[in-house]
Amino acid sequence: MRNSIRNAALVAASVVVAGLPAAKAQTLNMGVGSPVTSLDPHYHQLSPNNAVSDMIFDKLVSTDSAARNIPGLAESWRAVGPTTWEFKLRPNVTFHNGNAFTAEDVVFTIQRLPNVPNSPSSYAAYARPIVRMEIVDPLTIRFHTAQPYPLMPLDMTNVRILDSETHANAATEDFNSGRVAIGTGPWRVVNHRSGDRIEFARNDNYWGDKPAFERVNYRMVTNDATRTASLLSGDLDVIDQVPTSDLARLRRDPNINVTETVGLRLVFLGLDHLRAADENSPQITDNDGRPLGRNPLQDVRVRRALSIAIDRKAIAERVMEGAATPSGQFLPPGTYSHVPGLEAPEFNADAARRLLAEAGYPNGFRITLSGPNDRYINDSRIIQAVGQMWTRIGVRTAVEAQTWSTFVGRAGRQEFSSFLIGWGSNPDGSHPLRNILATYSRDRGWGASNRGRFSNAEVDALLTESLSELDNEKREQLLIRAQRIAAEQVAVIPLHIQTNIWASRRGFTHQARVDELTRAQDTRPAAAR
Amino acid sequence: MSAVVGQGAPIEDPAKIKVETPFRRFCSEFAESKLALGGLIVISIIIVVAILAPFISPQDPYDLAVLDIMDGRLEPGEKSGDGSITYWLGTDDQGRDMLSGIMYGLRISLTVGAGSAFIACMVGASLGLAAAYAGGKTDSIIMRIVDLQLSFPSILVALMILAFLGKSVTNVVIAIVVVEWAYYARTVRGTALVERRREYIEAAECLALPRYRILFRHLLPNCLPPLIVIGTMQVARAIALEATLSFLGLGVPITEPSLGLLIANGYEYMLSGKYWISFYPGIALLVTIVAINLVGDQLRDVLNPRLQK
Repeated sequence: MRNSIRNAALVAASVVVAGLPAAKAQTLNMGVGSPVTSLDPHYHQLSPNNAVSDMIFDKLVSTDSAARNIPGLAESWRAVGPTTWEFKLRPNVTFHNGNAFTAEDVVFTIQRLPNVPNSPSSYAAYARPIVRMEIVDPLTIRFHTAQPYPLMPLDMTNVRILDSETHANAATEDFNSGRVAIGTGPWRVVNHRSGDRIEFARNDNYWGDKPAFERVNYRMVTNDATRTASLLSGDLDVIDQVPTSDLARLRRDPNINVTETVGLRLVFLGLDHLRAADENSPQITDNDGRPLGRNPLQDVRVRRALSIAIDRKAIAERVMEGAATPSGQFLPPGTYSHVPGLEAPEFNADAARRLLAEAGYPNGFRITLSGPNDRYINDSRIIQAVGQMWTRIGVRTAVEAQTWSTFVGRAGRQEFSSFLIGWGSNPDGSHPLRNILATYSRDRGWGASNRGRFSNAEVDALLTESLSELDNEKREQLLIRAQRIAAEQVAVIPLHIQTNIWASRRGFTHQARVDELTRAQDTRPAAAR
Repeated sequence: MSAVVGQGAPIEDPAKIKVETPFRRFCSEFAESKLALGGLIVISIIIVVAILAPFISPQDPYDLAVLDIMDGRLEPGEKSGDGSITYWLGTDDQGRDMLSGIMYGLRISLTVGAGSAFIACMVGASLGLAAAYAGGKTDSIIMRIVDLQLSFPSILVALMILAFLGKSVTNVVIAIVVVEWAYYARTVRGTALVERRREYIEAAECLALPRYRILFRHLLPNCLPPLIVIGTMQVARAIALEATLSFLGLGVPITEPSLGLLIANGYEYMLSGKYWISFYPGIALLVTIVAINLVGDQLRDVLNPRLQK
């Protein structure tokens, strides 16, 4: 009885709140599918963290929705010598607490990058090429590098600028508590409940386009069905990572607005290149379950057979329900250093069987295909579909799905023979080349995510050459050549590039971004119809 | 029996007079509830279907080579792309025939359910007997462990065990055994405490029979009725627990789904109107558990001496 009275009171209260349209219109309720792990912008390189950092902080070089560089806290930049970059800073910019933004803050920020303790995925790489920083005047800064370094502006799109005074001794926990979550960005943090929600208020002194909403309630709703249901019920105004299973229905709904763009994340299969041709790969056996005595994946014909055995169109249409584009390379068409003419490998099961026979496996072999079940869109469904297709050419496939944390640990220890994984690229071929396709080397910081341990001297040489080439066109040709070789060698088996999808209720429009980031400044009230 | 009373006619033919053995009486009392009889018939059908699944199912749902992603999420009654199979209950997202999937899923559910209940029964009954017979410290220790075990929610314990052991069907069985043995132990101890003061135990002790023999040949058979009742109920519980764990993705491998995993696979499609992927496995699970519970209820009534007429 008591409960029911309280419930009735709650219902009445919520009706009253809902009845105040003016107040409601000022607050934007966003639901995101992946949890934000920290408010420290230099702690963990992760798309959800970067999205929230982009709301609180600014970068010297910003990016537009198509991931092209645009001026941020730097109004302009240029290479003033072969090893010197100069950035002209924006005047009259203040932090949320009123401190002025100057070149000192940039120096402080770059120095902090390698000194964030316990960072699970560090931003230190962006500070490494800089050997010396020179403050020319309060609004001009020069970065000196040891070698010519063409990637400087691109690197700067990843570095959020802190205040040298406010953040002098700030630890990651201080950011998470909200105490020093202070930047120059369009939103101020009001409240942060880790893993649940972040509340923002508009920064009325923002130097750029003023956001349309006064407050933002940024909620982490990791369950797909719940996120969709909350959007439909009006609890949320915008959601990201729209589940593909709900896509058709949401597209039909006149009260829902779906915005999408082909992203920069390639989903691909990694293969075991670590074990030599005469060694056993951990998850490959002959058809009776006995060790094979060799690693068939060292034979490029086998790798090619496994690649063309996959009907990528079927996966894109049936598993991804159209929210993916089959691809043969990391970057989508139209981006810098996309390899022209390199299409998604054509599905041909007969040719795949012939290639296997040529390579000495007329009856195939057994393999286990592993993958995460909570990281990429429909990840565990994709590996089951690939398992079907491989089994049909005689490579009997067992499929093993596990949670991301377990999976990525095992992949990093090279425990798999084949595995599904994804990579969200910067729009520059050097990014996937350096992280996935280059020979693994801790010293150089190369191949950090090269979990299959592919290694090709020619690819490495071309990459090295490109990294000190300042001429953008020559550099692009080098990157294209390197990527083409990796594709011919089937370093990895590319499947598709994900489509990034947002859905908003009528009255809101959300600008889709290729980099997956879900930011409140990208939502606007829709023009009244 | 009621027919005889109703007609009131004396039965002359001695050949037709049935000797009332305890088993006959048990059967006729059990059959008094038509609902329980129905449950028994349903269980029998389910068991037969599960055993014969490889021979009568339209497809081997665990063979990746016969599944076709292009047949994914077809509605009930549609034909496969090559026209060879009609999917009477539709297909899931991988193009797996739901009817075959359910038949094979029942196999896993019943095996895991019955298997784990049996092992839990062995473990629990032995410990319960030991506690009752030995008394004193042994009794206290075992029963405090039981209390501790029962104070934790079973799903939580099962999740912890699977998180520790990793996921596989064997580990699901282990988890269910760990969760359930305490129920058997407590039941058996209660009955055995009463029975062990009876004269026949005293007699057996006077004959200096070995202890294990007194325990298992004299004490245990007299504790059986409540054990059978609780065993039946626990099979249903074990099946539900296995389905829950698989639904949460901790049970069977994704290419060999049990009922719980089939439901989980379809759960995301509920909002988009593709109800059949979750609905039919859900019905199969529901019918199985209800049927077992009906039988269990009636068993309890029949075997409970206090309710004896």
